[in-house]
Amino acid sequence: MAGVELHRLRKEFGAFVALEGLDLRVEEGEFVALLGPSGCGKTTTLRMLAGLEFPTAGEIRIGGRVVNDLPPARRDVAMVFQSYALYPHMTVAQNIAYPLKKRGVPRAERAAAVARVAELLQLTPLLDRRPRQLSGGQQQRVALGRALVRDPQVFLLDEPLSNLDAKLRAHMRAELIELHHRLGRTMIYVTHDQLEAMTMSDRIAVLSAGRLMQFDTPGAIYDRPANRFVAGFIGTPAMNLIEGRIAAGRFTGQGLDLPLAPGLPEGPAVLGVRPEHVTIGEGAQRGRVRVVEPTGHETIVIAELPGGALVTARAPARARPAIGEVLPLGLDPDGLHLFAADEEGARIDPAR
Amino acid sequence: MAMTRIERRYAWLGLALIGPTVLVFCAVIVFPLVAAIYLSLFRIYTPTLEGAWVGLGNYAELLARGEFWQALRTTLIWTAGTLTLQMLFGIAMALVLHQSLWFRSLARSLVLFPYFVSTVVAVLVWRWLFNDLYGILNHVIMVAGVSDMPLDWLGTMPNAMVSVILVGAWKYFPFVVIAVLARLQTIPEALYEAARIDGAGPVARFFDITLPQLRDVLVVVVMLRAIWDFKEFDLIFLLTGGGPVTATQTLPLVVYKEAFSMNQMGMAAAHAVAMMAVMLVFMIVYIRRTRGGQGA
Amino acid sequence: MTFLGRLAFNLIAWALVLVIAFPLAWMVVTALKPQSELFRRPPGFLPEAPTLDHFRRLLEETPFATYFGNSVILATATTAVVIALATLGAYSLVRFRYRGRESLAFLVLFTYLLPSVVLILPLYLMMVRLGLANTLASLVIAYTTFALPYALWLLRSFMAGVPEDLESAALVDGASRLGAFRDVILPQLVPGIISTALFTFILSWNEYLYALVLVNSDAARPLTTGVMSMLISAFNIEWSLLMAASVMMSLPLIVVFAFLQGYLTRGFGAGAVKG
Ligand SMILES: Nc1ncnc2c1ncn2[C@@H]1O[C@H](COP(=O)(O)OP(=O)(O)OP(=O)(O)O)[C@@H](O)[C@H]1O
Ligand SMILES: [Mg+2]
Repeated sequence: MAGVELHRLRKEFGAFVALEGLDLRVEEGEFVALLGPSGCGKTTTLRMLAGLEFPTAGEIRIGGRVVNDLPPARRDVAMVFQSYALYPHMTVAQNIAYPLKKRGVPRAERAAAVARVAELLQLTPLLDRRPRQLSGGQQQRVALGRALVRDPQVFLLDEPLSNLDAKLRAHMRAELIELHHRLGRTMIYVTHDQLEAMTMSDRIAVLSAGRLMQFDTPGAIYDRPANRFVAGFIGTPAMNLIEGRIAAGRFTGQGLDLPLAPGLPEGPAVLGVRPEHVTIGEGAQRGRVRVVEPTGHETIVIAELPGGALVTARAPARARPAIGEVLPLGLDPDGLHLFAADEEGARIDPAR
Repeated sequence: MAMTRIERRYAWLGLALIGPTVLVFCAVIVFPLVAAIYLSLFRIYTPTLEGAWVGLGNYAELLARGEFWQALRTTLIWTAGTLTLQMLFGIAMALVLHQSLWFRSLARSLVLFPYFVSTVVAVLVWRWLFNDLYGILNHVIMVAGVSDMPLDWLGTMPNAMVSVILVGAWKYFPFVVIAVLARLQTIPEALYEAARIDGAGPVARFFDITLPQLRDVLVVVVMLRAIWDFKEFDLIFLLTGGGPVTATQTLPLVVYKEAFSMNQMGMAAAHAVAMMAVMLVFMIVYIRRTRGGQGA
Repeated sequence: MTFLGRLAFNLIAWALVLVIAFPLAWMVVTALKPQSELFRRPPGFLPEAPTLDHFRRLLEETPFATYFGNSVILATATTAVVIALATLGAYSLVRFRYRGRESLAFLVLFTYLLPSVVLILPLYLMMVRLGLANTLASLVIAYTTFALPYALWLLRSFMAGVPEDLESAALVDGASRLGAFRDVILPQLVPGIISTALFTFILSWNEYLYALVLVNSDAARPLTTGVMSMLISAFNIEWSLLMAASVMMSLPLIVVFAFLQGYLTRGFGAGAVKG
C-alpha cells in the first residue's frame, strides 16, 4: 500500500503548459477525486502517474519511492482509460486477463480472477464477445474490470463511470466505494461529475488550467471554497458571485448593502453566496423576479438586483413568485463568502 | 530540460527500431544521391568506368547543348498534356462512379485496373492496338471513314506525342479517380440538401459545393502526378523509345541514353541532377502542402 | 431521376467504362485467338476457335517460366525485406520521440518522390563493384530504393491510426514497449500491413528500369524486361504470344483485384490522398 506524492510537477507540450507545478499529497488508502473542467490536465496528471507521459520537471513518488525513472510496468498502478482502450482483437475475458498474463499469473488462477471480476461487474454473459460487440457502458465495465482484476498499489481511474446509465452508475458507485473499503487501496479518480466526487471521495483536488485550486475534503470544498474558481465550479446551481467592495465593515455593490463580520480588508471584492442561502420573499434586499424554474422538490428563482446582476435562489417547491414582481430578498449572513477581486480571486477571511 | 532515464531509454529504443531503415536509406538512397552529384563532375566512359575530373564541364556542355533544352520542353509538354487529361478523365469518372450505377463495384474495378497493370503490359497492349496493319484502332478509323489510310500512331509527329500522352492518361487517370472518389464520399450529403433547398441546380451544386470541397485533394493529386509524370521513363521508353528521332525524348530518356547508349556516365549524371533540380520545385511545393495539412 | 434518365446515365457510364477496359479485354481475346484469326478483316471480337496454345508455347518454348519465377522471388523478397524494415521504422517514427525524427520523416517523403534515373547510375556502378550485377539480389537492393520510402509512408499513416491509448493500456498492464507492440499494435496493424505489402509487391512486380539496367542475363531477368526482350529478339512479332504473356503477367493483379480489393482502396486512403 502506498500514498502518492506529486512535487512541483510540471508538464509542457511544446510551448503549451498543461500542468504548472502541481503539488499533491495523497495519503495511503485514500480515495481522491480529481475534478476540473475539460482540458485542465486531469488525464495528463494520471498519465504521468502511470508513467505514460514524462514530467518536464518535478517529482512523482508512489509509496515514498521516486518513480520518475520507472516504466509503467514497474510502477504497480492500474488505470482505467477515458477512451476505455480495450484491445479490439481480444475477447472480454482475454482483455481482463491480459494484465495477469503479463505478470505471469498461471492460467487457472487467471480464469478464476476473470470470473470473479466478471461477476462483480455483471460481465459474465459477455466474456466471449469482442469489444466492438459491446455497448459503451459495457465497454467501460470491461475497462474497469481490467484494472480491478489486479491488486496494484494505486488505482488510476479516468472517468470510469461517465458512460453508464443512471441506475448502473449509482450501482457502480456503491460498488467502487465498497471495493475501496475492502481493498483499502489508494485510488485517484478523475471525474466531471461533482456528485460523484462529493459522494465517493475522501478528498477532492480541484484543478483549473493546469493548476491546483484547492485540495480538501468535500465538505470543506463546499463550505469554504478557497477561491472564486472553486466557489463557482462546485455546486449546482452555481454559487452567486457578485462584484462590489468592502468598506466600513459592509459590502456594497449591485444595489446590495450588507453588514459583514469585522476584520475584513477594505477595497474591491466579490461576494459569494450559494442559492440555498438566498431567500426570496423576505429580507432586507430587493430583487425583481426574472426566471422561475420549478424542479419538483424545489423551485429555482433567478432575480435581478437593482444593480443589474442576477442572483439565483432556491425556494421551496410550492413557491411561485410572479415574473417581473419585485420582492424582498435575503442573504444568510452565515452563508456569505468573500473573494479578492483580482485574477486569483483568493478567499478573504476575517483577520483573527 | 532533463529527460528522465526511461525517456532516454525509449529514445534509444526508437533509434534502434529505425536504425536498420536508416542504414538501408543511407546505403541505397543517400549515398547514391551524393554519388550521382559527384559523378556528374567527371567524364566517365561507361564500359570501362574510367573517369577524368571535369568539374562543372558537363553542366556547361549540357546547358550549351540544344538537346537538354529540347528534352526539357518535351518533358513539360508530355507532363502538361497527360496530366491535364488525367485530371479531366479522373474527376469526370469519379463523379460518375460516385453515382449509383448498376454493378458499380465491377465498374470501379475495371476502371482501376490500368493503374495497377505493369507498364510493360500496357505498352504491349497499346502497341498491338496501334499496329499499323492489324491494329484494331486503324481498322476502326478506316471503317468509320475518319481516314482512308492506316495512321502511323507512333512513328510520326505529332501522332507519337499524342499517342504517348493518351496512353499515359489511360494508365494513370485511375489514380485521380481513387483519390477524388475517396474525398467525394466524405462530403456531407447535408451540404447538397441545403443547396437543393436553396434552388441550386446540378451544375451550380458542382461548382459551389463539390469543387471547393475537392480543392485540397486536387492540389495534392496534381502535385503528385506532376512529379511522377515528369520522371516517367518506362512508358515513353517502351512506346516510342524517344522517337521518332528525338521527338518524344524526355529527360529521363536522355539520362538513360547518355549512360548506356552514348556511354557517357558523367554526362548522364549531370542530366539526372539537372532534371532533379527542376523537379525540386514541384517537390518543395508538394511537401509544403502536405506538411501544412498534417499539422492540422 | 426517372427510369429513362437512369437508363441513359447507366448506358453512358458503362460505355465509358467499357472503352477504358477495352484494351485489356482485347489483350485477353487476342491471347485466346489462333494466329490465323489475328489477321482477319474485319476482326471479330470473340475468338471463334479459342485456344490455349499460346500459353502452352509460352511455357514450353520460351524462358517465360524462368522470368515468372524470378519475378515471384524478386517481388516476394523485396516485399518481405521492406515490410519488415518499414513496420519497425514506422512504429519508431510515430510512437517514439528523439532528436532528428522530424527530419527523418521529411527525408522519407523526399525520397518517396525521388526519380529512379538519378539513383540508377550510382547503383549500377555499386552493383558492378560489389560483383552483384546480373543477380536478383542486386534488384532486391535496388527495389528498396523506391519500395522502402513508399512502404514507410503508408505504414506511418496506418500506424498513426492505431489509438495511442491501446499501447498505453498495455504498458500499464505490464507490457514492455516491444511487448505492447507485439501484443496490441501489430494485431491492429495487420490490415495496413497487408495493404502495404500488396502495393509493394505490385510495385516490384511491375518495375522495369532497374531490371533493364542491372540485369542482362536470362537467368536473373524478371518478367518485365524478359517479356520485352521476347518482343525485341523475335524475328517477326507474335502478338498472340505477347498478349498471352501479358495476361500471365497480370495474373497476380487479377487475383488481388478479385479477392483483396478492399486492401488496395485502404492503402490509397492512407498514402495517396493524405499524401
Ligand atoms: N500529447 C499532447 N500534446 C499536446 N497537448 C496535449 C497533449 N495531451 C494533452 N494536451 C493538452 O493538455 C491539456 C490537458 O489535457 P488533459 O487530457 O489532461 O485534459 P483533461 O483534464 O483530461 O480534460 P477532459 O476532461 O476533457 O478529459 C489540454 O489542453 C490538452 O489539449
Ligand atoms: Mg481527460
